[in-house]
Amino acid sequence: MFPRQTASRRRSPALNNPLELGRKHKPDYWLLIWCALLLAIGLTVVYAISPALSETYHVGNNYYVYKQLIAISLSLVAFFITYKVPLQWWKQAYKPLLIIAGLATLMALVLPVNPSYPAHRWVRLSSFSFQSVELVKFAGLIWLSSFLAGRIRQNTITSTSKTLKPLLYILLATGFVVAGIQSDLGSAGVIVAIVGSMAFVAGLPLGRITLIAAIVLIGVTLAISISPYRRARLETFIHPQSNCQGSSYQACQALIAVGSGGVIGLGLGSSVQAYGYLPEAANDSIFAIYAEKFGFIGSIVLLAVFVGFFTRLKTIAERSTDDFTRLLVIGVLAWLSVQTLVNIGAMIGLLPLKGITLPFISYGGTSVVFATAAIGLVFQASQYTAYNTPKIKADNVVDKRNYRQNMVRRASY
Amino acid sequence: MALPNKNEILKPVGRIRVWYGGLILVLAVFGLQLFYIQIIQYGHYKAAALSDQLKQYQIPATRGIIEAHDGESIIPIVLNQQLYTLYADPTFIKQPDTLAKQLVPIVGGSASAYSGLMKTKNTRYVVLAKKITPQQQTKILSLKSPGLGTQGVDYRTYPQGSLASQTLGFVGVDGKGNYGIEQALNNQLAGKPGKLKAITDANGVPLAASKDNIDAAPKNGDTVVTTLDLSMQAQMEQILQQDYKNTKSQGLSAVIMDPNTGAIKAMANFPTFDPSNYANVSDPTLFNNAAVSNAIEPGSTMKILTTAAALDQGVIQPDTTFYDPAHWIVDGFNITDIEQDGGARQQNIASVLNLSLNTGATWMLMQMGGGQINTKARNVWYDYMTKHFRLGQTTGVEQGYESAALVPPPQDNGAGIDLTYANTSFGQGLQITALQMAAADSSVLNGGTYYQPHLVDNYITADKQTVNVSPKVLVKNVVSAKVSQDMQSLMENVVQQHLAAGFPYLNFDSKYIVGGKTGTAQIAQPGGGYYADKYNGTYVGFVGGDKPQYVIVVYNMQPQVPGYAGTYGGQPVFADLAHMLINSSFVSPKSH
Repeated sequence: MFPRQTASRRRSPALNNPLELGRKHKPDYWLLIWCALLLAIGLTVVYAISPALSETYHVGNNYYVYKQLIAISLSLVAFFITYKVPLQWWKQAYKPLLIIAGLATLMALVLPVNPSYPAHRWVRLSSFSFQSVELVKFAGLIWLSSFLAGRIRQNTITSTSKTLKPLLYILLATGFVVAGIQSDLGSAGVIVAIVGSMAFVAGLPLGRITLIAAIVLIGVTLAISISPYRRARLETFIHPQSNCQGSSYQACQALIAVGSGGVIGLGLGSSVQAYGYLPEAANDSIFAIYAEKFGFIGSIVLLAVFVGFFTRLKTIAERSTDDFTRLLVIGVLAWLSVQTLVNIGAMIGLLPLKGITLPFISYGGTSVVFATAAIGLVFQASQYTAYNTPKIKADNVVDKRNYRQNMVRRASY
Repeated sequence: MALPNKNEILKPVGRIRVWYGGLILVLAVFGLQLFYIQIIQYGHYKAAALSDQLKQYQIPATRGIIEAHDGESIIPIVLNQQLYTLYADPTFIKQPDTLAKQLVPIVGGSASAYSGLMKTKNTRYVVLAKKITPQQQTKILSLKSPGLGTQGVDYRTYPQGSLASQTLGFVGVDGKGNYGIEQALNNQLAGKPGKLKAITDANGVPLAASKDNIDAAPKNGDTVVTTLDLSMQAQMEQILQQDYKNTKSQGLSAVIMDPNTGAIKAMANFPTFDPSNYANVSDPTLFNNAAVSNAIEPGSTMKILTTAAALDQGVIQPDTTFYDPAHWIVDGFNITDIEQDGGARQQNIASVLNLSLNTGATWMLMQMGGGQINTKARNVWYDYMTKHFRLGQTTGVEQGYESAALVPPPQDNGAGIDLTYANTSFGQGLQITALQMAAADSSVLNGGTYYQPHLVDNYITADKQTVNVSPKVLVKNVVSAKVSQDMQSLMENVVQQHLAAGFPYLNFDSKYIVGGKTGTAQIAQPGGGYYADKYNGTYVGFVGGDKPQYVIVVYNMQPQVPGYAGTYGGQPVFADLAHMLINSSFVSPKSH
């Protein structure tokens, strides 16, 4: 269906810097297994708290399960698209993708909002709606991989004017729209973390990264200090027990849910906190409900599954032979792992609350579809990895050509 | 095409590992924090969870109903009806304006008020309407609107309207009985609420059974079957309403008691109130059952008790005659009869009652002291009033706010106690409720047994067990059987004499015995002395065949009548009631 990556093709005067992919081999099925495991856990928890949700939100008994199943079906479609459409195409398609993401953001800002969620974060098209920021993350990820890979190729990755400045402008623009207008500091933070991680791995000088970090920190401080709502959230975070009936309510209830799980938890069907005590039980707070049901053992198992999943992503990134692919995988890893950290950290009282979903576990169509789409790209990339992380010292490389052949030859399982 | 050199490959891999190491480190910290929260701090969070989640509830018990006799059958006079309170949880209501418009045709009211309530911020419970009928409730539920809910609430309903309302009392919004039987028997009627200790959702709805749940079923209230006879009560209320108007009274109370058991057959006051609409009553004194809560100086009706006490002591005989000087000087005060036309002359016991001689009653009290009012006379008379006739204390009838009334103690207080006691012999200077009077006179007329006045015939418990309430004897030998018989004759004589004196309405069929005594009571002025122009009219009488079957007490407060309040304000009411009892065949005629 797609042209095999042959030496002759790679060497031909490339149209738009063709990818330096290794020989195609079987994809990394472990990645899919971890991913499916996470989805299954998430669906189980949503199913188990469905009675509570249907009572609290006055919807049908399995409303949330059906919606989540629909989201997962959509995710499968997205997965097959991103898996089958070649990476080369994605790399070149960053422009239209960015334009679509920009338009979606614009629509979210212009379209009327749902009175119960007043922030301009959702794009609503009749019965179908999604959060524009997920699309921004997805498109931005591809553009950034492409951009950084290009700079590496041009050997200008360390250039302030060619690499750092554009990155800063992009960060500022995104920060302004997402954090400023959409008031979604959580997502803005995730975007910053993704950009930072990719820039770090791409080889930006550490001094520059520190500089960006400092600027971001100042920006965040400003964003918090000008908004009383955020100040309250920060206050909540620092003194969680002080105001359990007011602004700290969700944080307190989350801690109560996690803590009352104990060692083995209350059992799958026995969560109490989902019955109206803990807000957003199926979405942002799902980890706390999970921890209440399955206790310390279950929580550690879930963390272990996440570690397994992240390790898989890390391995694929390490073994990628191509800068674009590697950065793309790192971006996906940064995206999903930072969201995981921010979400779980808030539930266990280590980080302030942010409206960030737990990847694959949380109920919510947009986040599942885009996360799975990203995994589709990684799954495709896993077909072109080297067999091993290169361990050869650079000195031992006889010449560059031999090194590549060595890698490519060994890259078939 | 450039191939990667060592820096291109190794530098990213190194940085990936550093980055990944950081990720794993953070996750390890998370693991430690989970260990801290879920294992070390488990007790703290479990307690916090239970304090939020474990709620204790009362399962309301159904309040017992109240029934009354109606001839042979027993029918309810107070029932329960479940109505609903309509509430909204504003957080779930997306379109308050549309919903409010849908509610108006079902519940009535104004759409803007509903939508305003449904837009209330920071609450999850606003009451939209109360007393929603089950039909309305079905329609509301068929709207299937999330955020709308109904809650069942028991309300009292009164199939007999305002009948006996002051005797029954009412149930307040807090579910507690106020006034009357509802207050006095609140515990039996209310039953015992069940207890439910359960893990609940955030709205307090208990979740599925858990080992932390405790469940005790409610014990529903008893049904109270009263001694009241509905038809008698209804006719009495009609009579009172009519006579209240005719005598331009300030308030009219009457009690009909079975003297042989102490059972109250009918008891009413006018004006009264509608218990189903108690919230709109502006004057709370209307809630009082004046017959048990309003103690007044009874006036000459007291002479029945004075005479009975003197007869029982044997200091006088029914046929005793004595010289009446037409006035006595006691403690420097002149005691005269209201009607001073008789003058000093020889009198007998019958005429003391018939002519209502204050000097005669004072003379009887003197006889108790061996010829003068002294410590002995006071002590004996006090003993009769409080120990025999049980005045000055509550009777214990099943009524809220019963008054104990007042009997002055016999000790010399240096303020003319002899005069006070002389006054008590003809019903001034002491206070008695209509019910106390009915119970005391019943004991005089039934052969000398004081039965506790009662309104409850039996209780029917929630599990259909009938608990009978037998008449409770509080005092035996109040007076001797002979005195009882003499008193009956003396009172019959009073009615006969009054009939002859020109009160044709006192004409009763000879198959029945009817007796009575009027009382025109002076009304104490605040600050001392008595009003010159205000009197209460009282009447104590009985109706029967072979023996007295009903004792009737009438208190008419300040009737605007041409003659004596007792004769023109009390006596006609008594006559109306006595005729009613006879005409409606409540009384068994003499057997021979």
